[in-house]
Amino acid sequence: MQTLDFQKMANIERSASRKRTFYRWLLFITLGIFALYYLAPLYVMIITSLKSMEEIRQGNLMTLPGEIIFDSWKTAWSGRDYDAGNVFLRPFFWNSIKMVVPAVAISAFFGALNGYALTKWRFRGDNLVFLLFLFGCFIPYQAILLPMARTLGVLGISNSITGLVVVHSIYGLSFTTLFFRNYYVSIPDEMIKAARIDGAGFFKIFFKVLLPISAPIIVVTVIWQFTNIWNDFLFGSTFSFGEAAPIQVALNNMVLTSTSVKEYNVDMAAAFIAGIPTLLVYVLAGKYFIRGLTAGSVKG
Amino acid sequence: MATLKVSNLTKNFGNTQVLKQINLEVIDGEFIVLLGPSGCGKSTLLNIIAGLETVDDGEILIDEYVVNRVEPKDRNIAMVFQSYALYPAMTVRDNVIFGLKQRKVSKEHIEKSLKHFSQMLQIDQLLDRKPAQLSGGQRQRVAMGRALVREPHIFLFDEPLSNLDAKLRVEMRHEINKLHEQLGTTMIYVTHDQVEAMSLATRIAVMNEGIIQQIGTPQEIYEKPNSVFVADFIGSPAINLIQGTFYKDGTAPSFIPEQQKDNFKISLSGYSFDSEPKDGQEIIFGFRPEHINLPDASLKSQLPVELKPSLIELTGYEKEVSFEFYGNEITGRLPRHVNTELGKSISLSLDLSEISIFDSASTMRI
Repeated sequence: MQTLDFQKMANIERSASRKRTFYRWLLFITLGIFALYYLAPLYVMIITSLKSMEEIRQGNLMTLPGEIIFDSWKTAWSGRDYDAGNVFLRPFFWNSIKMVVPAVAISAFFGALNGYALTKWRFRGDNLVFLLFLFGCFIPYQAILLPMARTLGVLGISNSITGLVVVHSIYGLSFTTLFFRNYYVSIPDEMIKAARIDGAGFFKIFFKVLLPISAPIIVVTVIWQFTNIWNDFLFGSTFSFGEAAPIQVALNNMVLTSTSVKEYNVDMAAAFIAGIPTLLVYVLAGKYFIRGLTAGSVKG
Repeated sequence: MATLKVSNLTKNFGNTQVLKQINLEVIDGEFIVLLGPSGCGKSTLLNIIAGLETVDDGEILIDEYVVNRVEPKDRNIAMVFQSYALYPAMTVRDNVIFGLKQRKVSKEHIEKSLKHFSQMLQIDQLLDRKPAQLSGGQRQRVAMGRALVREPHIFLFDEPLSNLDAKLRVEMRHEINKLHEQLGTTMIYVTHDQVEAMSLATRIAVMNEGIIQQIGTPQEIYEKPNSVFVADFIGSPAINLIQGTFYKDGTAPSFIPEQQKDNFKISLSGYSFDSEPKDGQEIIFGFRPEHINLPDASLKSQLPVELKPSLIELTGYEKEVSFEFYGNEITGRLPRHVNTELGKSISLSLDLSEISIFDSASTMRI
């Protein structure tokens, strides 16, 4: 009787472990397929950028380059010496840096300040104010193009990096406020009360007590804002042209203005260069990104 | 010198009145405990005293000055919070001296106070650590150090021991008690734990639904609760309360339980009424579990009773026994060596010298 039971248990265990192995394989295969699917364009981009034009014309899209050539990268970055009218990325890359750094810093700083005020210095109607900020997150880019163009014109900063900094700072404020507000909600109010009794004021508490523990949400905000502002094309193309354009606009111009032949290798290299900074930000701060996104939701 | 006076204080949150006409006077050096169930307004009252909440009506006076519109930092108070509320990014040292730095106190003075109080609280070894590296008890000490170092006129404690485990809580309670002895500073302490209240307070203010129900020494509160609420809230196991009527036969007053039989009544001739009820008035008869005990000839007035245990719980030092008593379940505290058996009646006596009588309608002591 007892041996029978043992056998039964052993059978159940065996079939359970078989099932587990099967599902594990299924899981990894599915994940693998998706990973390949998402990585394929990147693969094509990189190998195409390293091929010569001849090889591109002859060969298959997926085959590895016969000879690795970095010329197209050089062309994309600094142009050709002899071609005067050529568009290349270098100056616009720095344009984008000059735009993205202040815009991210300003929107993150004021987002933090807003989040702090909305959670720790509650006032009559604070929820309504927050609701309006939230509403701001859902306003599409296109809706503010015309009024913003007019505003920039009145301020005398249209077609300038400064103008784009202003646009992105204002547009990003809704998101940064939302992030910081949700993070600060989970910070106990007692900490602020203690600081008030200790004699610290609004800004002192913000800078000395709250900001030093905001690293996770700062990372989230910076990644989010950096990616959005760096990758933005619509604001860039609407509010700037010529020398003041950010890199995404320049990339577009570059790809579209090739006169004679379509240089796929140069286009691919240029597209990759334009994507490097965001990639870098993700690689460097990615693990804090996930941590920061979940940090606000769980207390403690 | 630090006195505190709260007069006619009212506070509303939206449409709910959380504090109703609170009056409280605290003399210099007193240890006042605000005790009550959650939601009774005790923490709100403390926050208002600290200046962290605004006042809707009434006045707060510290050292004879109205401080309604004075910022927390200028009220000469320090506060210890339930969650400790340490600044996570700062070391213990910076946590403790943060308040002094804001006040632009001289470096020498800061160093001197830091040394003095960190040794007193035994946190001098922890000064370079961050709060996250401390245990609950250590964090509590740091939080107290932060309050002490400022040498305030009034200390405010908001359930400071609630987050500690049972053993540590007793330990810290002793320390707070010693601290009060040592410093002699006025302290106001909020808790829902009656043991903390009884053991720490020079006076307890029992609060319920935004009203101070009773204020008095721990002994007064325990022995002469002024309402059914206070009687029931203080003491564990809870006081026994029996509904019934007041009966006066000539000059001898007595109590008849609601579900009496065989003309059972309890003589109240030894009880001194504040205002004697009318014959036939509904009253509540209250006595604490320790007043059910083995017959003791030395007691002035006692009532012999035969009771059958319905539940016996050994608590260690003694046992808590439940009995059926004229339709009520009552609890008695008996020495643990007393022989008790479920359903087997024993002869006990009810000590009538320390009973409390309440009016059924108003639930106030009479």
